[in-house]
Amino acid sequence: MDVFVQLILNGIMLGSMYAIIAVGLTLIFGIVRVVNFAHGEFLMIGMYAVYLLSKHFGLHPYVSAVPVIVLLFVVGALVQRFIIQKLLNADEHIQIFATVGLSTALINLALIVFGADLYSVESPAVRQSIAMGPFTVLVGHLVIFACAIALVAGLHTFMQTTPLGRAIRATAQNRNAAMLMGVRVERIYIISFGLGAACVGLASALIMPIYPVSPTIGTYFVLTAFVVVVLGGMRSMVGAFFGAMIIGIVDSLSGYYIAPDLKEVVYFAIFLAILIFKPTGLFGFGRGTE
Amino acid sequence: MKRFIRVALAAGLMASAGSAIAQVKIGALYPFSGGLALLGDESFRGLELAIEERNAAGGLKGQQMQIVKGDAVDPNQAVGEARRLTSVEKVPVVFGTYSSSLSIAATQVAELAGVPYFELGAISDPITERGFKNVYRSNPTAKDFANRMIDAIGEAIAPALGADVKALKVAIVHEDSLYGQTVTGYQVARAKEKGITIVETLPYSAKSVDLTPVILRLKSAGVDVVLQTSYQNDTVLFFRQMKEQGLKLKAIMGAGGGYSLRDTMTAIGAANMEGALNLDFTQYKTNAKAAPGIDAFVAKYKAKYGTEPRSGHSLANYMGAKVFFDAMAAAKDYSGPAIREAVMKVDIPAGTTPTGWGAKFNEQGQNTRVAPFIMQWQGGELVTVFPAEAAVTKMKTGVGTN
Repeated sequence: MDVFVQLILNGIMLGSMYAIIAVGLTLIFGIVRVVNFAHGEFLMIGMYAVYLLSKHFGLHPYVSAVPVIVLLFVVGALVQRFIIQKLLNADEHIQIFATVGLSTALINLALIVFGADLYSVESPAVRQSIAMGPFTVLVGHLVIFACAIALVAGLHTFMQTTPLGRAIRATAQNRNAAMLMGVRVERIYIISFGLGAACVGLASALIMPIYPVSPTIGTYFVLTAFVVVVLGGMRSMVGAFFGAMIIGIVDSLSGYYIAPDLKEVVYFAIFLAILIFKPTGLFGFGRGTE
Repeated sequence: MKRFIRVALAAGLMASAGSAIAQVKIGALYPFSGGLALLGDESFRGLELAIEERNAAGGLKGQQMQIVKGDAVDPNQAVGEARRLTSVEKVPVVFGTYSSSLSIAATQVAELAGVPYFELGAISDPITERGFKNVYRSNPTAKDFANRMIDAIGEAIAPALGADVKALKVAIVHEDSLYGQTVTGYQVARAKEKGITIVETLPYSAKSVDLTPVILRLKSAGVDVVLQTSYQNDTVLFFRQMKEQGLKLKAIMGAGGGYSLRDTMTAIGAANMEGALNLDFTQYKTNAKAAPGIDAFVAKYKAKYGTEPRSGHSLANYMGAKVFFDAMAAAKDYSGPAIREAVMKVDIPAGTTPTGWGAKFNEQGQNTRVAPFIMQWQGGELVTVFPAEAAVTKMKTGVGTN
């Protein structure tokens, strides 16, 4: 029983990490309607930025979240402005190839600049485990969990209550109608893509104390993030959050009770089942219900 | 002016005549560029130092050795470069290769061309298990590593713990690509031979971002000793999460991969890596009594390249190259059959070379006198702890701070 509870706890913590990454992916996919395969590489850029800030300026990873979020917003906005914008009316395959190409280019760029070595930051306080009775949770994981909830709640409120949020939702629902209503769609896309990337900026500051960075670190997280996005209904951030929790818990339980190397099989099976039986996702509200 | 030209011509003629008579080409096939370049180049440095040493002492049969490099970035290019070396450059022998997949590809070309191929660093067993007549290997194979890990439980770990080897609960944890599966396969077979019970065999993906299920399984099973076959990222994750989940092991042992790299130790922290055992090519904190010449090698290396050796690969290549140069010198010519005859006569006892290995080749061309040493992380340094004659310090028990 103890092990079971510990596994659930670990699953929730793992889920929060996926949630923050998947929320950004959901934003980009739900609004710009582009599948961003370079999302993991944004994470990689963010983590290297956190590493450099910590090494050269002695910033704690959590403090460096602020500049890194801004940096990633700019990176996202630039990618949208100079790559995706030009392909908005192109075929979906072309957009996918563009982001896949960007991803490969960024990984190799990192290999040239940083080499294949691992870099990590020293932050022992974050890696301290807290004992709660027989169970242990990492301080860093608790922070991620809190941030994930705050992020989803914050973005949800932003979308529902602010004029910019309304414009974003309008654009997501119908690009042409929004344009006719005077929404500057291209600007909305740049902002949305920037926001999606900024979420990854937050994720990188939170993850860096726990995982060392290497050029391929993004590929470790992003495939799972895609599963989460689909599970969450593609366009819903709250859906993505709960989707991430489910994947985290499934990952943790199947790794223990079935086999560690089969956990991917389990959640990809869930992924396929959802695509077949409920293509709008577990929390899918259908197309156009953002 | 006329006189100057005449002198210059004469000097040029002499120089070219000299090189035409007294040079023998040596093919050196390594990944010099691309993702494997760092350790490929490190491996090559061992060969280069061995050649310089030999040339300074008069060369091979009175001929100076001249290196012809081949850059094998991937298996396709390894084949292309092996063809160029054997048919265009017409080198009599090829040395290589660091990476197993490159070696498997290149050795096929050399075998067909009838050119002797000396492997100094790739560990995949099939390289010398395909019935080739011209392929020889001086370094230990994956199977040697796996067997040695299992043997070490009985010979080194159990005595250090003061425990009965049959009473120890041993688990194997490995990444699930071909590398991890191959090593684990050999380990399981050896454990059966030795009567050691493996209570858990847990494969995982090296790209996994959470290994707590693995660690909780080990915890539930009350495991004492873990053997891990891993890359770098997963080693870091495993050690960090082992600490977080409070898994207390009596010993943990890896084989190269993530365990040998200083970056791994830095990322995990010296205190948490303390006590981790590692089996790898001979490293530099080894007792020179069991590896005579190791200090001289390091001195030569520093004099030439201006840094400490970056890994044990250069030393392994240096040792192997010297063994094969002696065989070449003893052969009546450099033809396949003559080299084979000479290599089969090689008989160097263990403990007399800079790596501490001996040399005695079986019919398949594999060196059978290779016993990798066991090292341990102590105070942020990787030091040799077993066997006793190679050890620089005593083996510790326990892992990390749990």
